[in-house]
Amino acid sequence: MPYQLPDSELNLRERLYFPEVIQGVGIIMKQFLRNFFFGRQKDPDVLARDRSLSQNATIAYPEERVPYPPAYRGLHRLVPREDGRPRCVACYMCATICPAQCIYIEAGEYPDDPIEKYPVKFVIDELRCVVCGFCVEACPKDAIRMDTGEHAPPSYTRAAQVWDEKRLLRGPPVSYQNDPWLRRGSPSISPEKLQEMRARAKPFPLNATDEYAQTPGFSVRALASEAKGK
Amino acid sequence: MADDTKQPTPAAAPPKPPPGPPPPKNPGFVTCTVDGREVVVKAGTNVVEAAKSIGIEIPYYCYHKRLSIAANCRMCLVEMSNAPMGKLMPGCQMPVAEGITIQTATPRVKDQQRATLEFILLNHPVDCAICDQAGECKLQDYYMQYDLKPSRLDVPKVQKDKRVQLGPGVTLDEERCILCTRCVRFMREVAKQPQLGVAMRGSRSTISAFPGQPLDSKYAGNTVDICPVGALTSTDFRFRGRVWFMSSARSICTGCSRGCNTLLDYLKDTTYRYRPRENDAVNQEWMCDDGRRSYKYLNNDRLLVAREGRGAARRDLPASAAAAAAGATLKEHSAQGSLAALFSPLASVEDLLAAALVATEGLGLAEVFVGGRPDGWQDDFLKRADENPNRKGLELVAQAFGLLVRPFADLPRAIEAGRVKAVWAVGAEIPDAAAAESFGKLEAFVCQTYGQGPLTRQATVLLPAAPHSEMDGTFVNFEGRPQRFELAYWPREGSSPHWKLAAEVGKALGLAWRFQSAREVWKELGPRLGDALPGFVWDGLPSVSRRRGFLPIAAGTVDGRLPGYRERVPEDVSGDTRFDLLDVSR
Repeated sequence: MPYQLPDSELNLRERLYFPEVIQGVGIIMKQFLRNFFFGRQKDPDVLARDRSLSQNATIAYPEERVPYPPAYRGLHRLVPREDGRPRCVACYMCATICPAQCIYIEAGEYPDDPIEKYPVKFVIDELRCVVCGFCVEACPKDAIRMDTGEHAPPSYTRAAQVWDEKRLLRGPPVSYQNDPWLRRGSPSISPEKLQEMRARAKPFPLNATDEYAQTPGFSVRALASEAKGK
Repeated sequence: MADDTKQPTPAAAPPKPPPGPPPPKNPGFVTCTVDGREVVVKAGTNVVEAAKSIGIEIPYYCYHKRLSIAANCRMCLVEMSNAPMGKLMPGCQMPVAEGITIQTATPRVKDQQRATLEFILLNHPVDCAICDQAGECKLQDYYMQYDLKPSRLDVPKVQKDKRVQLGPGVTLDEERCILCTRCVRFMREVAKQPQLGVAMRGSRSTISAFPGQPLDSKYAGNTVDICPVGALTSTDFRFRGRVWFMSSARSICTGCSRGCNTLLDYLKDTTYRYRPRENDAVNQEWMCDDGRRSYKYLNNDRLLVAREGRGAARRDLPASAAAAAAGATLKEHSAQGSLAALFSPLASVEDLLAAALVATEGLGLAEVFVGGRPDGWQDDFLKRADENPNRKGLELVAQAFGLLVRPFADLPRAIEAGRVKAVWAVGAEIPDAAAAESFGKLEAFVCQTYGQGPLTRQATVLLPAAPHSEMDGTFVNFEGRPQRFELAYWPREGSSPHWKLAAEVGKALGLAWRFQSAREVWKELGPRLGDALPGFVWDGLPSVSRRRGFLPIAAGTVDGRLPGYRERVPEDVSGDTRFDLLDVSR
């Protein structure tokens, strides 16, 4: 048995009926127009959105995305050096630790580099990956990171989920003071550039999370702050 | 705490020994105490070996039991009760003496080990990430075991050349070298070709070959094995894989008839390298560079499917169908008396037993031609001119089955003369590559082969055989010493061992013999060899009966490391049929 609501006495305005109808339509129209014209906001950071015009909290994925926390483990990337070569030296630590065995590496040798060894093939099967981040932890050279802040994009084929070194190598370059190409110089880096890199290089981070928080310009957080700036 | 309790032991020894040596506790031997445990060893044994004999490890880099003592790494310093002024003494250099007390784990010794390691690692680049030795490196092991302290060096490390090509097979990284001089001593004392030396002084010291003279000794590869760190690395193996992924099978080198004992390091179905395995009677623990490189035929140019026909008419077919076709042709020719068998001394004893059985009982042959690789170089150390591992075994098998052994050179002549119109070859290795042409005149040529070669182009039926890495078996070396080798991985794709192919051919000929395993071949046919191999026990390969499936031994087993975890028993082979057939239960 539904409980009873006592019928309150209608006043004159309510009994005239139309003013109330018009007011109701007005409220609906106001919300409709607000959400229709101002609902889509460019700022991907939902929490930082301007709420003065639209209360709309729905995220229109994938055009809009929630920013992930800085330690979020996203799609892998191979960190490049300033000269475009990967930092990776093909030590197989990530492949060794990987519980899903999704990393395949083939090592090769540079004839002209202070680090002789490099990955000729570096393939990650993103379908097998369990996104545990052990590869990032295991890497002694800070050469693989999961700081892209994105998921593996969907695809219609399995083959498209197998990322090779060409797709993985992206993002801003990183150098540390103890990097051999800074200590010894490299034929692929000009002397002026080397000076600049040496001046800019940071000590190798002992606490990895600090470094990840500082990763410049490649996280969604960074994209959000960029969008805010515009 | 443990050390405190052991302190009273040296104190309890008489402070003033009576004049004259005490009478030995065990006459003919020397008795001493290592870490409170009594050790009885032969006179002249050094402290490292004496401690090792009761399972106490004294760390060392420069010491090697087959080389002279250098005592330059200072890693094996221990406390000895007969040391002058109570100094720490190098365990590798000091022979044990009657009644002395040796302490290997006192705080003083541990401090010394830590200090030594810090000193050794002072200018070491710690580039384990790109170092091929990582995983079997004594620096890594001892650092984890004895040091575990960060470096206190705050000035830049000495930089040296990281890529010196010392010779065709050896690459030197000068930065990683700890100057133990094992390689120098090896080249001087064992290889007897003193091609290496230490150049420069102090922290600039490097191992180097003499100017203009590369390290081109045929035994240079051993310096890579005995290098305790990653300074000397194999150019052939360089950057090809990580050792902790690999497993080792106890195998025999097929490079020559010496039959050096090897560890065959493999990953999945690829052989990556040979390393010598210790056997005092055959190769001590050395092998030659040609032997080291001889693994390549196991991986490259392998024949993996059976084929029929020559030239354009060639087609692939299942191995059983090919064997049946082969059997039919061979039977026809054996009836006409125009058939010859060509056995390769590269095949194992089991292969040849099965093949000889088919040749005599199935094909009625009375003689067999012997193929094999042509002769190579020979020296007075390891390498033999005969580059076939099992020529002696072939002779024994032929003798056991009453087959007359004839040299290969007779076969092309017989083919040219038209006396032989069909050949069954077990192994396609021939000493004279030019003779392959004459095989084109054959009406039928059934060839069991590991890989492609000049001879295989002439075959009418090609059967893919599995080499020694993919089977259990035995080689008999030039001294008549039977040596077992074990299966590393299952035969690739369509290939199977010679004995199995021979049995298939025999089946097509109507023979009743069936073999499930190489062990069964030996069990059925081995007794026919009589007492040709006295004292030989097929199951005598140490610990073979403890092997479930094929549990691999790790690439670093010589150092007592755990097996590599990647290459366990394959999932789809839960039970090892060969093991089930084993009737011994040791």
